Amino acid sequence: MMYVLIFLQWICVLALAPLTVGIVRKMKAHYQNREGASILLPYWTILSLMRKEMTITRHSSWVFRVVPFVVLATAVCLALLVPSIAYGILPHAASNIFLIGAIAALGSVFLVLGGMDTSSTFGHMGSSREMTLAALVEPAFYLVLSTLGLLAGVWSLDGIVGYFAMSPWSAVVPVASITLLALLAVILAENARYPVDNPATHLELTMVHEAMILEYSGPYLAMLEYAAAIKLTVMLVLFMNLVLPFGLLHPAFGLALIPVALMVFVAKLTLGGLLVATIESTIVKMRFYRMQEYMSVAAIGALIGFILVLIGHTL
Amino acid sequence: MLSLLSKIIKTGRITEPAPSLEDAAFVEAGRNLKATIGRLYGGRSLRIRHIDAGSNNGEEYEMTALGNAYYDVERFGLSFVASPRHADILTVSGPVTRNMEHALKVAYEMTPEPRIVVAVGDGACTGGIWKGSYAVVGSVADVIPVDWQIPGDPPAPADIIRGLLKAIEQARA
Amino acid sequence: MPTSLYLYLIEAAFVLPLVGAILALVLYRVHGANTATQFLFAASGVVGTIGIAGYFVSGQGNVAIQVISGFTVTPLAAFFLALVYLGTFLTSIYAIQGLRHYKKIYSIPWLNVTSALFILGMQATIMSGSVVAFLIAWEVMSIAAYFLVIADRTDDSLRAGFLYFLMTHIGFVCLASGFLLLAQGNVFATWSDVALGAFLISPQMLSVAFLLLLAGFGSKAGLVPLHQWLPYAHPQAPSHSSALLSGTMLKVALFGFIQSLFLFPFIPMWWALVVIVVGLGSGFFGALHAAVERDAKRLLAWSSVENMGLIFSGVGIVLVLRTLPDSPVAWSLAGTMSIFVVLHTVNHFFFKTGLFLAVGAVASATHTRDLDLLGGLARAWPLFSGVFLTLALAAAALPPLGTFFGEWMYLQSLAVAMSVLPTSFAVASALIMVVLALIGGLAIFTFVKLFALVFLGRARSDHAEVTTRMFGTLLWSPLLCVVGSLLVAVSAGSVFSDVAMQDAIGRVASLSVMPGASINVWFVFALFALVIIGVYLIRRAFTNVAPVRITDTWDCGTPLTPRMQYTATGFAAPIRFFFRSVLVSRKDLIKEPIAAGNPWIARRRLDSTIGSLWEHTLYMPIAYWVMRASTWTKRLQSGVIQLYLLFVVCALAVVMIIAL
Repeated sequence: MMYVLIFLQWICVLALAPLTVGIVRKMKAHYQNREGASILLPYWTILSLMRKEMTITRHSSWVFRVVPFVVLATAVCLALLVPSIAYGILPHAASNIFLIGAIAALGSVFLVLGGMDTSSTFGHMGSSREMTLAALVEPAFYLVLSTLGLLAGVWSLDGIVGYFAMSPWSAVVPVASITLLALLAVILAENARYPVDNPATHLELTMVHEAMILEYSGPYLAMLEYAAAIKLTVMLVLFMNLVLPFGLLHPAFGLALIPVALMVFVAKLTLGGLLVATIESTIVKMRFYRMQEYMSVAAIGALIGFILVLIGHTL
Repeated sequence: MLSLLSKIIKTGRITEPAPSLEDAAFVEAGRNLKATIGRLYGGRSLRIRHIDAGSNNGEEYEMTALGNAYYDVERFGLSFVASPRHADILTVSGPVTRNMEHALKVAYEMTPEPRIVVAVGDGACTGGIWKGSYAVVGSVADVIPVDWQIPGDPPAPADIIRGLLKAIEQARA
Repeated sequence: MPTSLYLYLIEAAFVLPLVGAILALVLYRVHGANTATQFLFAASGVVGTIGIAGYFVSGQGNVAIQVISGFTVTPLAAFFLALVYLGTFLTSIYAIQGLRHYKKIYSIPWLNVTSALFILGMQATIMSGSVVAFLIAWEVMSIAAYFLVIADRTDDSLRAGFLYFLMTHIGFVCLASGFLLLAQGNVFATWSDVALGAFLISPQMLSVAFLLLLAGFGSKAGLVPLHQWLPYAHPQAPSHSSALLSGTMLKVALFGFIQSLFLFPFIPMWWALVVIVVGLGSGFFGALHAAVERDAKRLLAWSSVENMGLIFSGVGIVLVLRTLPDSPVAWSLAGTMSIFVVLHTVNHFFFKTGLFLAVGAVASATHTRDLDLLGGLARAWPLFSGVFLTLALAAAALPPLGTFFGEWMYLQSLAVAMSVLPTSFAVASALIMVVLALIGGLAIFTFVKLFALVFLGRARSDHAEVTTRMFGTLLWSPLLCVVGSLLVAVSAGSVFSDVAMQDAIGRVASLSVMPGASINVWFVFALFALVIIGVYLIRRAFTNVAPVRITDTWDCGTPLTPRMQYTATGFAAPIRFFFRSVLVSRKDLIKEPIAAGNPWIARRRLDSTIGSLWEHTLYMPIAYWVMRASTWTKRLQSGVIQLYLLFVVCALAVVMIIAL
C-alpha cells in the first residue's frame, strides 16, 4: 500500500510537471488579454525536442554532456522525496529536510557547470548569477525548513506536511504564515521566477536560468526543461500543501480516495500556477544588483517567522 | 482615503467595452497552421528564432506584433526562443549585409535538424531595394538554403502566418 | 596485534623521516635521491597508519601508551596522528613526481630535510606528554613550516614568511605563557600534573590562560582575527607542503586546543561563546574571501580558514552544551556535535589535501595559479578533471560525499537544538544556522568557481593551452583523497562510533524522540545511482536516433575569443558587490601618459584589489603605532656619549631606589 502511494506520487509529479509550466503560461497569457498557448504545449515541446538533432559546441568537455543527466536526476529525486499527494509514506531518513535542500543545491551546481562549459559569455554570465543566487538563498531556505520542522516536531518534509494535514488549519497555518511567505520567496528564487529572473525573456542581458541553457539543444535541452518543470512543480505543490493541507492521502485511507486526491492535486497545481502567474503579472523584475535586498528580506522574514513559531511552540 | 476607495468601488469601470477585433482571415490562417503543425510536424510545438540580417526593422515590427494580444501567435503553438539551438524555424529578414553574413551562417549551422528557414520580407527574398549594393551580400538564399519566402515590405502578420504554413508543408512534402 | 609490535611501528614512523632527511643529505647530488627520500616518508606514513590501526584494533584504543620516554599516544592523539601519517603518505607519493619540475627553484635535498623536520615536529607535538616537550616540538614544527614557506625565496614568499614568522611567534608566546600560567611555572609538568594543578588557580587566571591558549592555537589554525598570515603563507610553499600545512598542520593546532581543554577543571559558558563567535567569524571571512579570490592556492588557504572556523565553532557548541546542567538532550546534542567535529576534521583533511595536490599538478603543468589565466583543461585531462570535480563537490559539502554528512550533522543538531533547548539557546541556534548556511552557500560558490574556471570553457591564456598528459603518479594522491572522502561517507556513523565517540553515539539513540533527525547514507547513494542510470536508460530508449553535430559556440555574430569569457574576477563580481562593505575592495584607474604634451592621450589600466577588513582596522593601526613608538624611542639613540652616561646614572639611581 505504502509503496503504491510512493510510486503513484512519484509518477503523478513526473507526469504532470510540464502541465504546471503550461498552466502558468496560460494564466499569464490570460492576464495579458491573450488566449495563449495550449496548456499541453510543454509536453509537445519536450517530445519534439527529444526527436531532434543535437548541436554541441566544440569548446565543451565531458562535463557539458553529464550535466543534463545529473540535473534531471536531482529533479527526479526531489519528485520522489517531496510529499505531493500523500503523507506518512516516506521514511524520515529519506525525506530529511537538509537532504532535500542539498539535492536541490546539487542540481543548481551542475546546471551552473553546464553554463560554464560553453565558453560563451552568456552562459558564464548566467552561471555567475545563478550561483550567487543559489549561495545567498541558502540561509533563508534552511531556516524556513528548520522552522517548519520545529513547528511539526519532525525533520522530514513528509512528516511536516503530515503534521499540517492532521492539525486544524487555524492552529498551524496562521502561526507559520511569515515562514510560508519566506518559503514562497525562496521558491521564486530557486525556480528563476519573478522578481529574481524573467523566464520569458529573450534578452540575454536580463537572463539567469535561460542564459545557462542557451547552448543546449535537442534531447539535452528537453531534459533540462523537464527538470526545471519538475522542480517548479515539486516546490509549488509543497507550498500549496502547506498553505492548504487538505485532500492529502494517507496509507490508512485506502485506495478508494486516490481519484479524489488526484483531483485535489491538479487543483492545487492550478492554484499554484495562478499564484505564480499573478505574481509575475503584477510586479516587476528586480535589478540583479539589488538581489541582496531580496535575499536579506527572505532571510529576515525566515527569522521573524522562526521567532513567531518559537513563541507559539513555547506557549 | 476611505472615501476615495469607496468612490473607486462604487464607480466601477466606466471605459467602453473593447470591441471584438478578431481578424477572421488571420485566425483562419492560424488554425490551418496549427492543424498542419499537428499533422505534419510530429510535435505540435514550433519554436522560432528570428534573425535580423540587415533589415530596416519593418519586418521586426510585424514579427513582434505576432506576439501581442491581438495576433497572439502563441495560441497556434508557435513561440519565439532566444537561441538558434532551441529553434525549429529560422526566420530571416532583410538583405544579408556583409557584417551579418557570418552570423547568419553560424546561426544556420547550429540550428538542429530538422530545421526550416523562412525568408521574411522583400529584402530577404530578393535583396529588395538594396539589391546589388556594395554593403549587401544578396538575398538570404545566396547565403543559406531557404525553404520558403514571404514577400512584402513588410509582410502583414497574416501573410507571415500563411507563409509559415506553406513553409512547413513544403519542407515536409 | 601485540602491544610491542604496533609500538615499534609508531616508533619506526617517528624515525623514518629522519632517515629520509639523512639520506637526502648523503645523496645530495645523486639522481633519484628525491624518490628514495619520498619513499621513506611514504613508508613512515604507511607504517604509522598501520600502527595506529593496530592500536585501535588491539582493544587498547582507550588507554594511553608510552611510545618513548615523554611521548605518549592517547586515543585523541592517535586520531590526529593518523591524519599526520595519512597526510605524510599522500603528500610524499605526490612529491616523487611533483618536485621533478622544480629542481631549479627549490634546493630539493634541503626542502626534504625541512619536510622531515616538519613531519617529525607534528608527530612529536601530538605525542608530547609534557609542557616543555610540547612547546619544543611545536616550535620545531613552526620553524620548519617557515622554511617550507620561503622555500622558493621569492619576494612574495619572504614577505609571507615574515608575516607567518611574526604571527607564529606571537602565538608561541601566547601558548607558552598560557601553559606556564596553568602549570604554575613548572615547564616540566606532565599534562596530568597541569590538570591537577589547575584546580588551585583562581578563575580569573584560568580565564586569562584560556584566552591565551585560544589565541595561541587560533593563530596557528587561522582563526579571525589572527588569520591574516595564513592565506599568504600556505600557498607559497611547494604544493605538497601546502597540502601538509593546510590539511594536517591546522589539525595539529586543533588537537592542541582540544587537548588543552582537558586541562581546565571547568569551562564557563562565556569561554565557549567566545570560541563559537571566533569560529563563525573565521568561517564567514574565510568563505567570503575564498569566494572572491583569484589565486587558486590562496583560495584553498582561505577555505582552510573557513573550515577551521566551522570546526572550532562546533567545538564551542559542544562546550556550551556541556555546561548545561542535568540536560540529557543537551548532552546528546553535544555528542552529535562532537561527531561533526570528528567527521569534518577528517573530511577537511581529505578534500583539502587532495585539492592542494591537484591544484599543484595543474600549476606545474600550466605554470600559473591565476584563475583568470586558466580554463578548458577538462578536455585535455578528462580523468583528472573528474577527480578534481569530485573533490570540489566534497569541499562544497554536497551529497553524496563525506563532507555533506558532517555538515548535515551540524545543521541537524542545530535544528534539534531549536526545538528542545530553552528559548535563548533556540534563538542562538537559529542565528548560527543562518550564518552556517551562508558560509555553506559561499563555499559552494567558491568551489564551483574553482572547478569551472580551471577546467571548463576555453583556455584564457597560453598557459592553459596544454597538450601534455597528466602524469599518472600525480593523480594517485588526489584519487586516494576522493576514495577517502567516499569512505568517510560510507562509514559515517559506524566507524566513528568505535573510535572515541562511543559515548556520544550511545546518546544519539535518544534523539529518536525527534523523528526525522536522521539520514540514511546508503539510501542516498542508492537513490543517486538508480536515478542517474534510469534517466540514462530512458533517454537512450527515446532518442536512439538523435545524432550529434559539433559546431561553434553561439556568438551572436561576433567571433568569440577566449578573452570574452568570464574570469574569476568577473564570476565573483556579484559577491564582491553584495559584500562590498565587508570586503575592502578598491578599484584604481591607473593612467600612464603616452604623448608628453597631451594629457588625454594615455594608456589606462584598471586595477582591482581586495583588501582585508582586519588588515585595515586592526593590523595596520597596530603596525602604525609600533612604528610610531619605535621612532620615538629611536631619539634615545642620539650617539652623544654624555647622554648615554646620563642613562647609566639614571639606571643606577632607579636600581638603588628599588634596592633600598
